[in-house]
Amino acid sequence: MTMAAAPLADLQTTFLAQVLDADAPLPHGWGSSHAAGMAVYRNNYRSALIDALRAIYERTERWVGADAFGRAAAHHVISHPPTSWTLDDAGIGFDATCAELFTGDPEVGELAWLEGAMMDVFTAADSTAMDAAGFSAATAAFGEEDWAGLQLAFQPGSSSCVVRHDLRAIWQHVADEDASGVAVTPLDHPATCIVWREGERSTFTMASTLEGRAFTTMQAGASYGVLCEMLSDELGVEQAIMQAGQFLGHWLAEGMIVGLRS
Amino acid sequence: MNAIAPFNGFGLGLRRTHYADFLDRDVPVDFVEVISENFMVDGGRPLRILDEVREKLPVILHGVSMSIGSAHGLDTEYLDRLKRLERRVDPLFVSDHLCWTRTSAHNSHDLLPLPLTEEALEVVCANICNAQDHLGRAMLIENPSSYLTFPQDEMREWEFLAEMARRTGCYLLLDVNNIYVSAQNHGFDAREYLAGVPLDRVRQIHLAGHTPAEDGREIIIDTHDREVCDAVWELYAHAMRLLSQPVATMIERDDKIPPLPELLAELDGARRIAAEAKQGVAA
Repeated sequence: MTMAAAPLADLQTTFLAQVLDADAPLPHGWGSSHAAGMAVYRNNYRSALIDALRAIYERTERWVGADAFGRAAAHHVISHPPTSWTLDDAGIGFDATCAELFTGDPEVGELAWLEGAMMDVFTAADSTAMDAAGFSAATAAFGEEDWAGLQLAFQPGSSSCVVRHDLRAIWQHVADEDASGVAVTPLDHPATCIVWREGERSTFTMASTLEGRAFTTMQAGASYGVLCEMLSDELGVEQAIMQAGQFLGHWLAEGMIVGLRS
Repeated sequence: MNAIAPFNGFGLGLRRTHYADFLDRDVPVDFVEVISENFMVDGGRPLRILDEVREKLPVILHGVSMSIGSAHGLDTEYLDRLKRLERRVDPLFVSDHLCWTRTSAHNSHDLLPLPLTEEALEVVCANICNAQDHLGRAMLIENPSSYLTFPQDEMREWEFLAEMARRTGCYLLLDVNNIYVSAQNHGFDAREYLAGVPLDRVRQIHLAGHTPAEDGREIIIDTHDREVCDAVWELYAHAMRLLSQPVATMIERDDKIPPLPELLAELDGARRIAAEAKQGVAA
């Protein structure tokens, strides 16, 4: 298409396609000065997005090294051109990109997921954790049916993911500037990494996959009764009730619950 | 749309590396400017810090993603979030750029150039009116730096800005460095630009550094990563002599951000030049 007579919408579509694809031939009639200008826009586009990924995934970059991270970031920018107005969304899907590119180092995709989740929850809506005393007061008059129907509200922006590596150890290790030279062994059993915010600080815990399923089930709006049923399929009724109580106590102690859903 | 009163002062962009400075002590500035999009979030530390700084200083909300030149119209979710922030902060000004950043499919996160045509002018004016109606206040629109022009251009950038301000009632954020950068890249006279814009609509001035041309690249690039150069200071002095109303002057630094005292010293330079320009006019 020639850009000379194109309506504005067509011109912008063509222009942005030029920016996104560094190998695209320039429109008919463009000279060397246009090519030089387009080179600046192409470079600005890529460097802004790669810088945004570097800012979000600081620890992942430290883990894989700057060169490998730069290649992964460039690949992601090309394969996932952004659609959102906020640069915070530039990292959407970057954990999957890392999992795809670092097939010999499967912990990289998991670390990238964790870092993205920690960034997302950092600016989630503010809320105050419900402590054990508050929970006791709110449920003091509960009968059996009330307990069965109990639904929990978790910290806004909380998320979870099944992982196969000890992300706590990796996370602490990459807090140092030099993160090289560490052997990574997979966990004996998969675990669930749960991310939430304590006050203004993003945090996470490594839980069993059973607790992870319990968390995602309750977070999705299931009742305490449904949780007990789900657990009883694996543990039997008595053990399930006790286990559900332990999970609830853990979530309250960690400050993951903000209230009861009405 | 309500008029925006002139504001006389000197300020800096509030950047993360300087949060502690602004929270812990009184920084000698008259206002700060923040990138709107960094605070168009649901909660967390950034908003708490902005609230605390706002208790001390006027705040300007400066956007980079409204895309007022987009033929595909404005993003309503974006406008809603900006409006929520505007209500929270009660800013001195709300501003964005004469550019486009996205199509209906993708976002460039860069300030892309518009063809200077009547069609583009109509699109820009419709989008500005939409944004101003949504926000319930007049906006400031900043002249961009650009790296190419379009064969179909029908007017000069200053003519475009003048007509845009006349049709929409918006005000101008004059980026003196951007004028200089575009003048160098496209071969026009920066003083002719200043003579052509409606100076009575200017409420704010940006000053910044740029990356000069080098071997193999004739284009100079607006990088905000270094001190303001002498030529831009001279253009600023000229602008201040032409302006008849007070304006808010700001140093913009977005990369290689130095310690705060260095930026405050540079801002003192702006104060000195502005005072000398006004004295010269009075004499």
